[in-house]
Amino acid sequence: MATKNYPDPILNEKLRDRYYHRDQSNPEFTKEIEKIAGTMAHMCFQCGTCTAGCPSAPRSSYRIREFMRRAVLGLEDEALTDPDLWFCTTCYSCTDRCPRDLAPTDVIMAMRNLAARRDIVPVNFLKTVQAIYSSGHGVPNNDVNRAAREKLGMTRDPPTTSMYPEYIKGIQKILDHYGLKERADRIIKEREG
Amino acid sequence: MAEAVSPTTSKKPETPRIGVFICHCGTNIAGSIDIDAVKEYAKTLPNVAYVDDYKYQCSMPGQVNIREQIDANKLTGVVVAACTPRLHEPTFRAASKDGGLNPFRFEMANIREQNSWVHMHDREGATEKAKDAVRIAVAKAALLEDLYPKSVPVERAAMVVGAGVAGMQAALDLANAGIKTYLIEKEPSIGGRMSQLDKTFPTLDCSQCILTPKMVDVGRAENIVLMVNSEVEDVEGYIGNFDVTIRRKATGVLSPEEAEAKGIVGGGCTGCGDCGPVCPVTKPNEFEMNMAPRKAIYIYHPQVVPLLYTIDWDSCVKCGLCVEACGEKKAIDLEMQDELVQVKVGTVILATGYEVFPIENKEEWGYKRYDNVITSLEFERLICASGPTGGHLVRPSDGETPMRIGFVLCAGSRDNTGIGKPYCSRFCCMYSLKHAHQIIEKIPGAVPYIFYMDIRSFGKMYEEFYYRIQDEGAKFIRGRVSNIQEDPVTKNVTVYVEDTLLGRPMEIELDMVVLAAAVQPTELTNKTRKLFGVSCSQDGWLLEAHPKLNPCGTTTAGVFLAGACQGPKDIPDSVAQAEGAASAASIPIHKGEVELEPYYAMCIEEKCAGCGMCVNLCPYQALSLVEKDGRTVMQVTEAKCKGCGTCGGFCPGGAIWMNHFATPQIVAQIDAFLLGGEQ
Ligand SMILES: Cc1cc2nc3c(=O)[nH]c(=O)nc-3n(C[C@H](O)[C@H](O)[C@H](O)COP(=O)(O)OP(=O)(O)OC[C@H]3O[C@@H](n4cnc5c(N)ncnc54)[C@H](O)[C@@H]3O)c2cc1C
Ligand code: SF4
Ligand code: SF4
Repeated sequence: MATKNYPDPILNEKLRDRYYHRDQSNPEFTKEIEKIAGTMAHMCFQCGTCTAGCPSAPRSSYRIREFMRRAVLGLEDEALTDPDLWFCTTCYSCTDRCPRDLAPTDVIMAMRNLAARRDIVPVNFLKTVQAIYSSGHGVPNNDVNRAAREKLGMTRDPPTTSMYPEYIKGIQKILDHYGLKERADRIIKEREG
Repeated sequence: MAEAVSPTTSKKPETPRIGVFICHCGTNIAGSIDIDAVKEYAKTLPNVAYVDDYKYQCSMPGQVNIREQIDANKLTGVVVAACTPRLHEPTFRAASKDGGLNPFRFEMANIREQNSWVHMHDREGATEKAKDAVRIAVAKAALLEDLYPKSVPVERAAMVVGAGVAGMQAALDLANAGIKTYLIEKEPSIGGRMSQLDKTFPTLDCSQCILTPKMVDVGRAENIVLMVNSEVEDVEGYIGNFDVTIRRKATGVLSPEEAEAKGIVGGGCTGCGDCGPVCPVTKPNEFEMNMAPRKAIYIYHPQVVPLLYTIDWDSCVKCGLCVEACGEKKAIDLEMQDELVQVKVGTVILATGYEVFPIENKEEWGYKRYDNVITSLEFERLICASGPTGGHLVRPSDGETPMRIGFVLCAGSRDNTGIGKPYCSRFCCMYSLKHAHQIIEKIPGAVPYIFYMDIRSFGKMYEEFYYRIQDEGAKFIRGRVSNIQEDPVTKNVTVYVEDTLLGRPMEIELDMVVLAAAVQPTELTNKTRKLFGVSCSQDGWLLEAHPKLNPCGTTTAGVFLAGACQGPKDIPDSVAQAEGAASAASIPIHKGEVELEPYYAMCIEEKCAGCGMCVNLCPYQALSLVEKDGRTVMQVTEAKCKGCGTCGGFCPGGAIWMNHFATPQIVAQIDAFLLGGEQ
């Protein structure tokens, strides 16, 4: 793919070669997605129902339909390196409504899995792993939350690892089994030094 | 015709002499099967007297060769190894007959559809399979016997079930061809869905204006016996001789003819309408999609055919006020009962049409929850000058004129979720374009928004119509609506959709949304089709005999299909199919007799114990028990038997054989396969 050498990087990007060439497609990528997601991603007919009801779409550049298209065409690199991949809230609205009875949410999850294998994961997701490792929660309890709970007549801490910290060990064991924490630590270190 | 081959012309020597003809079908077969190997192999098979191959066996020279070799080699049976018998069995039977054989001495081995086409990449395997197929066919051919098709006379009358535009057209054609035709309609008037439409795409002519002349013709046609408020109750018999029982529902109102038959001179319903106003019961009018009232004694609309009032028994309180209002005409009989009428017909056309899918099942669009979400058929009534609002489109919530109107296409169609329908409903794109035009024309400043996945404008002048509507100002947004929300105060509806061409989600507030709801076969269709032994496809539409080569026929001889009951069809297509079906249905009637394939069951009386269990099993009521030589034995009514084999498979004594599929013939085929020819 020819890249032109303009001094201005914005111009360079704008004037980049836009043709789709067949070698950008990896049919194995489509198959892999279907295997992990358990849905016939190649059957998407681009109606847009998914994006239309997606709570993330009106607030971000994330377009679930475009990821489905990339799954159909096997555009592996384009899908896995697009940071929008991580904007899905996994609310499953699209999966509820897709007229082709596909599960776009699960396609996103499959792509995230494949991206993670290449260490492509945003740092905030990795920090969530660290938080779960140390507290058992992605969003650990804090004093504001505790006060609110008390006001509502609930216990200061919920009946989870917050109340029973002795169980954190179990959670750590699970995460260690998959080497998740170790991986998160490593990638964060590589990125943030 | 009965004169098939007379028994004397077919010679029957002691040992069978079979001729095998192997077809190349160009490269269709020869490309993946070693023809020479199959040919050499066939020569080694028992009873084979002659083997040949040819590039196109079905061509004239190929057929002539079969004829000549039968004579030259004194053949008793012919095997052609070629394509499916569905294509060329008739061709080769005729060729065998030309050579002096009984045509049922012919057997076909399918080495194309079931072999060369599916084993294109396995020449060796395909060749072995072809040898098997030839061996099996030869084994059967050696045991084939002369059979003679039976002819039965055809009743000179036809029946059409369903009087929408398709059924009406079919009935008119049959009647004009001189055939007495019973037209059966479940509703009080003929006309079907088309009579509910305002205008028709792409020409925009008024639906009623082009339909009512046809309705009047049907009402007047001498050869048409019109039965409204009627349903098929029972069917017996077969092509040429269907005995149909019709239930004529009590309407509570006598026609002038019925009145006269009862001795009420000059009486009967004239459609004067004196009864309606006095009736104290008000109900929603189904014809107006329940958006206008009617009385318990009613007509759907002023142009009904026949023009006769009908009583809705579910709501009539039998107060008798209508009887008084009717006075001397004495047309109303509150004690009227359903009547069962028997008719005999030679052929039947089913034209039972469609109904709208209950789109409230797709909850995300809010139909029946939101006042201002309506269906297209409701839109037709609201925009129609003879409709409940006199043609003024209004919002159901407040009667205001909507200015921003959304049309949701593919509502419930092209839907694989199990809630909607997987197929395309075919006419909704076009009628939604028409609806867009209608609001632009009628409401100055109104803007139609068409939410679509694809615009399917496939017919003659349809794409041009699309062009015109876009030019008139309709807004096209390429995306399927995910959900609709209602503002509880204004009752406006907000549509959520992605403009997939821009890649942007959209939130569009509208005054009204029209759902182009999917269509499905009518509820009663399933019952009616079963009575006639007609199958349906997975999606419920009635199944044609062949999607390309026999689109009007069904697998039940003598029963044909017309209009949307076979699959969503617009008016031009419905009318075209109706004329095709009428032509097909008139052929047996004009011929006067039909030939039945002689594949019927045969009772081997010495083996029959007379237990009679088969009699109840037969789905076509073809069997009965009779006394013969002091014994009870089963007897087959050959004209009713379809050769399905149910009885033959069941008979505990093995006393039933199916002609042409007789037990020894089938056993010989199985042996030939299992023993691999080494007998
Ligand atoms: C909103 C809308 C707009 C449309 N606009 C257009 C248009 O502009 N142009 C166009 O070409 N097409 C249009 N169509 C399509 C059109 O309605 C159909 O093409 C046409 O009605 C099909 O005719 P039919 O006779 O096959 O079926 P139907 O019109 O459905 O008639 C079937 C008849 O059979 C009767 N029946 C059903 N079952 C039985 C039974 N078991 N026993 C006895 N009687 C039975 C029914 O009561 C009915 O009278 C539109 C459709 C819709 C929904
Ligand atoms: S809703 Fe389903 S078919 Fe439509 S674009 Fe999304 S994934 Fe594809
Ligand atoms: S005709 Fe058009 S609107 Fe109707 S189902 Fe087919 S594609 Fe969808």
